[in-house]
Amino acid sequence: MPAAAIEIRDLRVDYGNFVAVSDVTLSVPAGEIFGLVGPNGAGKTSTFRVLATLMEPTYGEVRLGGIDIFEDPEGARRLMGYMPDLAPVPSDLKVSEFLDLFADAHGIGSAAARRARVDACLEQVALTDRKEAFCKTLSRGQTQRLVLAKTLLHAPKVMILDEPASGMDPLSRRNLRLALRRLADAGTTVFVSSHILSELAEMCSSICVMNRGHLLAAGTVDEVRRLLGRAERTLTVAVLERADAAADWLRIQPAVSELKLASERLSFTFSGTHEEQAALLTGLIGQSLRVTVFEEQKSTFEEILIEVSENNSPA
Amino acid sequence: MTAPASPSAVEAVHPLPAWKIWANPIWRRYVRARLRAKHLTIWLILTLVPASFLFFIIRTTAVYRADLVLSDAERSPLVPLLVMQSIILFVLGTGQVAGGMTGEADEGVLDYQRLTPMTPLAKVLGYLFGLPVREYVMFLATLPYTIWALWRGEVPAATWLPLYLVFLSSAVLYHLTGLVAGTVVKNRRWAFLLSIGIVFLLYTVIPQVSRFGLVFFKYFTLSPVFQESFANLMPETASRALRAARALTQNGAPLATEVRFFGLHFSEWIFTLFTQGALILTFVVMLWRRWRRAESHLLGKIWAVGLFAWTQILLLGNALPLIEPGLLFPSREIGRRLRVSAGANWKPQIEEAVGMIGLYGLVTLCLIAVLTMIITATEDEQLRGVRRMRKLGWAHLPRFSDAAGSFWFVVIMALIGALGWTLFARGLVESAWFAGTVFPAHGGWTFALVLLGSGLGFQAMLEARGGKWPFLFGIFVGVVPAMVGAVLAAAQNPFLKAAVWLAGVSPFAAPFFAAQTLIPVPIPLDVGKTIPQAFWFWQSVNVFVVAGLILQLWRVRRQRALSAVEPPTLSALGSSVVAPP
Repeated sequence: MPAAAIEIRDLRVDYGNFVAVSDVTLSVPAGEIFGLVGPNGAGKTSTFRVLATLMEPTYGEVRLGGIDIFEDPEGARRLMGYMPDLAPVPSDLKVSEFLDLFADAHGIGSAAARRARVDACLEQVALTDRKEAFCKTLSRGQTQRLVLAKTLLHAPKVMILDEPASGMDPLSRRNLRLALRRLADAGTTVFVSSHILSELAEMCSSICVMNRGHLLAAGTVDEVRRLLGRAERTLTVAVLERADAAADWLRIQPAVSELKLASERLSFTFSGTHEEQAALLTGLIGQSLRVTVFEEQKSTFEEILIEVSENNSPA
Repeated sequence: MTAPASPSAVEAVHPLPAWKIWANPIWRRYVRARLRAKHLTIWLILTLVPASFLFFIIRTTAVYRADLVLSDAERSPLVPLLVMQSIILFVLGTGQVAGGMTGEADEGVLDYQRLTPMTPLAKVLGYLFGLPVREYVMFLATLPYTIWALWRGEVPAATWLPLYLVFLSSAVLYHLTGLVAGTVVKNRRWAFLLSIGIVFLLYTVIPQVSRFGLVFFKYFTLSPVFQESFANLMPETASRALRAARALTQNGAPLATEVRFFGLHFSEWIFTLFTQGALILTFVVMLWRRWRRAESHLLGKIWAVGLFAWTQILLLGNALPLIEPGLLFPSREIGRRLRVSAGANWKPQIEEAVGMIGLYGLVTLCLIAVLTMIITATEDEQLRGVRRMRKLGWAHLPRFSDAAGSFWFVVIMALIGALGWTLFARGLVESAWFAGTVFPAHGGWTFALVLLGSGLGFQAMLEARGGKWPFLFGIFVGVVPAMVGAVLAAAQNPFLKAAVWLAGVSPFAAPFFAAQTLIPVPIPLDVGKTIPQAFWFWQSVNVFVVAGLILQLWRVRRQRALSAVEPPTLSALGSSVVAPP
């Protein structure tokens, strides 16, 4: 198992009596694209601001690449690139000047080296043609891309991206996904939040879900879906013939309820374990029924998240 | 978007040394943004047109119309140019620093700077010299005229060098004021107005305060060094007359061009640099703390107490040596200006000494209030501190942490303030000018009562209820009764006693009442007798009020401790109680 690039332990953030992040413990392996999902007010931005050393938590430990960010914030900043939600840009600088400022601040050598690095990063986000434009003239999506380029300047080992795709057009989003994938392949750890859940599911190797300050689940997309999904699930069975016989047999099974039959397809709610689900399929076949489909209807991520948002209790 | 470059493309980062301003990325950023040819040209025109006009009109008039020798005529434009340069750097520069800093925070780009691995000091200096870079260029644009006038006017380097050194240190001090204002105030316009307001106060109100015994404050400005240099910057004929006039009013004593600090003697410019340097250091520490940790208090508790004690030492060090020569008393200067008393006939009145003692107490009280605001934790900070303490198994919060209470630090400051106030009052009252007058033995305790009462009441209210209550209290108990009292007193004599009793409620009036109570001076219509009665009555009431506020504070603290829900103990530390770092 790869070493953790980000380790969060017992992290808590309070605003007065409001608990924004409640005792979150999380580990993000190096080289992964790790997604943080949650509705508005889940505590995503507070968590990211703590990770970015912009905010001191009530308590907790955070390590980036093994560096305690509260003990050595400047060391952590060298490793990390942070892109905030609704990333702002200064109105009085040109695109190239804005990037040069931060290349310089990160100690990227001579003017020539900085220029080369700025050009490379602009190319990465497809903004080369806007190099001499004033930042204030960029569209929302272009601004997002510019700030992403700024985040890439010092080639951080860990990237923390808060809603990086907001404001981007579909093509830019796809390019962003590809770029992040390539960064991860090169060994960069990407911790990214988004409220566009399908987008995260597509780009992330693992995700975690937060709601009202609590970490509800973490793991691969399938694991999280399983962890947060209901115990009861809907199964669909299709047989070539004798659907009525299949229905009769299923009705008497203990974990089956709400059975519906429509043109040789049966759908029903199943509340058994996965072993019992496997035994159910074996049983159907044992009844000499010719099963063509035996399928669990997965809840979509959106459905799970909506359900999670409505239910405050942590898993 | 193409494939990202390899991380190895970036070299290891070595933090930039803070003193390398020219290599500071933040400074360079503002050089780019604020010195663009188009804008700079406009601003240079706006600078050079009036500067040229000032120079040529004054010089031409002096050379061709006035009956002056050439060197005298050439130095004529110096003072007007200095005034213009002051407006550029002190007013425009300070406003730009405050507004620019707030603007950065407002736009949200300040966070980007926090994330760069530059040292906090490099960031402070980058903004300090970067934000007003255009104003520095405008100032430099006027310098050729100044240099010409200094050269052709044969002004000695011993005159202009200290003047311009202090001019630049004043500019840095005011810009730092703007930077602090911009860091604290959220609204760009308010930050601009606040910083400009502070500079305005420094040149209008503060000089008046310094005339009433608080000499130290004048060293925040260019004024003392300017006054010292003034004669040498003026045409010789005018400066001769000026010197003669001053010598006359000072009864033959030499023009005071040195600062007395206890038994030490400094030149005005050295002492001004020293004073401003201490304040510059304090402001840099404030900003350094904010850059290191965005939620940090501007000053730590120890630094705040140290700064307060240092201010007291400076106030006393400047004031005490001036008592015996009579230079501390405002009536001397006022009498000179009004030509009502001068020379050997002049003698200070005990009334003005009482007023000066009251003013010293009021300024001390205001300093305590400002520092208390800086070091007192908000409810949010306290709750977080208590939760952290419990989580880490500490028995109590670290005493000097921002989240810890400031109560005992206010007590220390009040006691230091009372000591300083007593030394000032004793020095004044028991001087040779008021032979036979003795400062009462309980005077120090009375001053301590005033400062502790008002200081602790303010602290308790601030900590328990937040900033709104002390503000409202200050307006309705501090300011309004004093104003109504003044109006009543102005109306009719029968209202005088009522006015005194009403004004006595105000904590701002208490230092003056205390001074009059300890050193009774005859005030007609029984006002002199009423003031001590009102003072002791309101101080007694204040003791109970403050005791109530402190009790309330203790209750609030307990409630906050209870409301901070106990989280599970950090497994690595176990549940045993450990001492905080």
